[in-house]
Amino acid sequence: MSHTFKGGVHPNYMKAPEIPVTVIAPPAQVIIPMAQHIGAPCLPLVQKGDYVKMGQKIGENPAPVSAPVHASVSGTVVAVEPRHHPLGDMIPAIVIENDFQDTPCEDLPPLTEEQRRDPDAILERIRAAGVVGMGGAMFPTAFKIRGGIGKVDKLIINGAECEPYLNGDHLTMLNFPEQLLKGIELVRIASGVDKAYYGIEKNKQDAIDLLNSLHPEQYGIEIVPEAVKYPQGGEKMQVKAVTGREVKPGGLPSGVGCNVVSTRTCYAIYQACYEGKPVIERIVTVAGSALRAPVNGLTRVGTPFGYLAEQCGGFVRTPRKIVLGGPMMGICATSFDAPTIKGTSGVLFFTEEEDRHVDNPTCIRCGKCITVCPMNLEPVFMYMYYSKGDYENMEKYHITDCFECGSCAFNCPARMPLTHAFKTAKLMFQARAAAEKAKAEAAAAKEGGK
Amino acid sequence: MSEKKERIVLDVAYQPQVRTATDTRRLMLDVILALMPALVWSVVQFGAAPLLVVVPSVASAVFFEWAYRKLMKKNTTVGDLSAVVTGLLLAMTLPPTAPWWLPVIGSLFAIVVVKQLYGGIGKNFLNPALAGRAFLLASYALIMGTYAVPRALRGAVDGVTMATPLNYLYGEEALPAFFDFRALFLGTIPGAIGEISALMLLIGGVYLIARKVISWRIPVSFVGTVALLTLIFGHSGMDRLDWMLANVLSGGLLLGAFFMATDYATSPVTQGGQLLYGAGCGAITVLIRAFGGFPEGVSYAILIMNLCAWAIDKGFRRRQFGVSKEDIAAEKAAEKAVRAAQVAAEKAARAKAKGAVK
Repeated sequence: MSHTFKGGVHPNYMKAPEIPVTVIAPPAQVIIPMAQHIGAPCLPLVQKGDYVKMGQKIGENPAPVSAPVHASVSGTVVAVEPRHHPLGDMIPAIVIENDFQDTPCEDLPPLTEEQRRDPDAILERIRAAGVVGMGGAMFPTAFKIRGGIGKVDKLIINGAECEPYLNGDHLTMLNFPEQLLKGIELVRIASGVDKAYYGIEKNKQDAIDLLNSLHPEQYGIEIVPEAVKYPQGGEKMQVKAVTGREVKPGGLPSGVGCNVVSTRTCYAIYQACYEGKPVIERIVTVAGSALRAPVNGLTRVGTPFGYLAEQCGGFVRTPRKIVLGGPMMGICATSFDAPTIKGTSGVLFFTEEEDRHVDNPTCIRCGKCITVCPMNLEPVFMYMYYSKGDYENMEKYHITDCFECGSCAFNCPARMPLTHAFKTAKLMFQARAAAEKAKAEAAAAKEGGK
Repeated sequence: MSEKKERIVLDVAYQPQVRTATDTRRLMLDVILALMPALVWSVVQFGAAPLLVVVPSVASAVFFEWAYRKLMKKNTTVGDLSAVVTGLLLAMTLPPTAPWWLPVIGSLFAIVVVKQLYGGIGKNFLNPALAGRAFLLASYALIMGTYAVPRALRGAVDGVTMATPLNYLYGEEALPAFFDFRALFLGTIPGAIGEISALMLLIGGVYLIARKVISWRIPVSFVGTVALLTLIFGHSGMDRLDWMLANVLSGGLLLGAFFMATDYATSPVTQGGQLLYGAGCGAITVLIRAFGGFPEGVSYAILIMNLCAWAIDKGFRRRQFGVSKEDIAAEKAAEKAVRAAQVAAEKAARAKAKGAVK
């Protein structure tokens, strides 16, 4: 039996897991943004001129929804100032001049065997090591797991890696299978459940076989092979495929007793607990038709995209877009100077070749968007009401249920900007809700004043 | 180096950054390819005559599309091949003996009045080819009702024109022996250019479904409804099965079900809606054939259902993800309970007020 969900698409996968991992030489300067997670941004703990060791904590915020950041090289802090963030804005960052010594920081010793059985000790370490959702969402992992304790009866590990191009999860499974299973075991213990379900798409059969040969059951893990279909790696689709449950509209997986943690996050947790290593590097797939060949590069956090491209052989054609993550949900970076961060699973340098741009997209009402929507939505009508600015009907057609997987726009023969429209509409709904809330609060304050 | 890089203008776009290779033009090309078996068969049966209808029809449809958009200073859309499809489909519904100017008039009506006046591709609410055919049927009934003898029947019948199987049935006459099941299925019968061979249309239809250009829902529910209704009600003086087969295999049913009723702009996009729409087309076809003033009812059945497509879609919303049938039932029950409580409270209040008055 194949675990799956309804809808979805089959993009051209362009995967190259057979290319071995290359270690990308760290740059002369790394840029560590203070916001590499959802939640409160970090406050710098160091100043210009300070010497920092590799792995040293350099930014932190005591708020519950946050994650500290660490130096990815050893060297001297040369600037603490706003720099290009991969997601667009200028955001405070710490710039470190690399001394190329990689002098390690010993602040986080490996956990003892006893500590590795204690949920609190594990969660404390996950937070201290700055672990966030490394599938791309970058939600602080310790907060997510803690929030699910008592509510979650099914822990799901996301090994779908359904986005085209990306190979990081697959290569982690192949290169560090035992460490990965131990990392999942730690998440399972921290979550307070007896079993973790590891959903892996069947295009990674070699990884499934390898993991199964290591007796995952001794770690309390069951491997769940899944049909190869995008967006299998979406949280809601993982929950549906593994448990048959559907996350409620506007709700979280924990609302139906599930938590979903990504492969790379589990490996980061292994490194944090067994090796005392914070999140300072990850496998980044660098690909796209602007490059000669794809590279699976073990890359330090804070490596600028321009430098990364040079290390991967430079451009053979002028890039038109820098796509962060996979091409289905990845958004575009605005600068070659922006750095990789914890959630950067891929950096794709695309040219006109990947872009199937048309000048006057016109909906032909074929309904192909409806058949692929994994959320049972009707994009053709949502777009129609969006174009008219008809909020009432956008809401009636559940536009806010869209999680922007891009399947509808991918499948659209007329090349309508569907996902773009829905993303914009969701932002407009958020702004309206905020405005209404502010208005109500102002009215309440006025009432109170009387 | 970094200076040079800064000069590269980056495109910043929301996802997705990749698109499927299948575009509008490819879908239209598939429809054109799917019609080729039926067209080739028509040439086999009628010689070059069908081509003398098809070529002016396609050429004029493309010309009118181009000229209208040019005149109105709109972007050129002939590249999407939808005008070719309209011209081709219109020709397929005409008799092989039609004069060259007939499809030109039909194309003018189809492209300009039905399609472009409403905004062009995707915006029209009637199938342009069928509306064009309906226009010609009303204007040139004699030409539209004259059918050439196919090559297979030359010698078996006198003259150069003959009645179609549906003409016989409409006239309450028994079908001649040469209109047997084999003839209807292979297409050795008289009829419009694109409708005579059930086999060739099925090949094209299966191709469209396999290529995911159309879904199976509309053709299956359309043909299925015609088959079911004719089988149930039968026809006096005819075997039920023969009556059903004659209805399904002759006339424009298969051409209509696979190629006309599945027109994107004028058919529902929801799955349930497509089933209902197909069934509606089938039922109206049978009604027209049994009680109407024409031997054939497929075109009008589809045109009538075209007008209902948008309304049908509104009635077939999909289940919201994360909301089960039980959730919906529970919500309805809760609403009902709240209403009942309100009514009870109002009643109590009224009774109290009454008591106070007393």
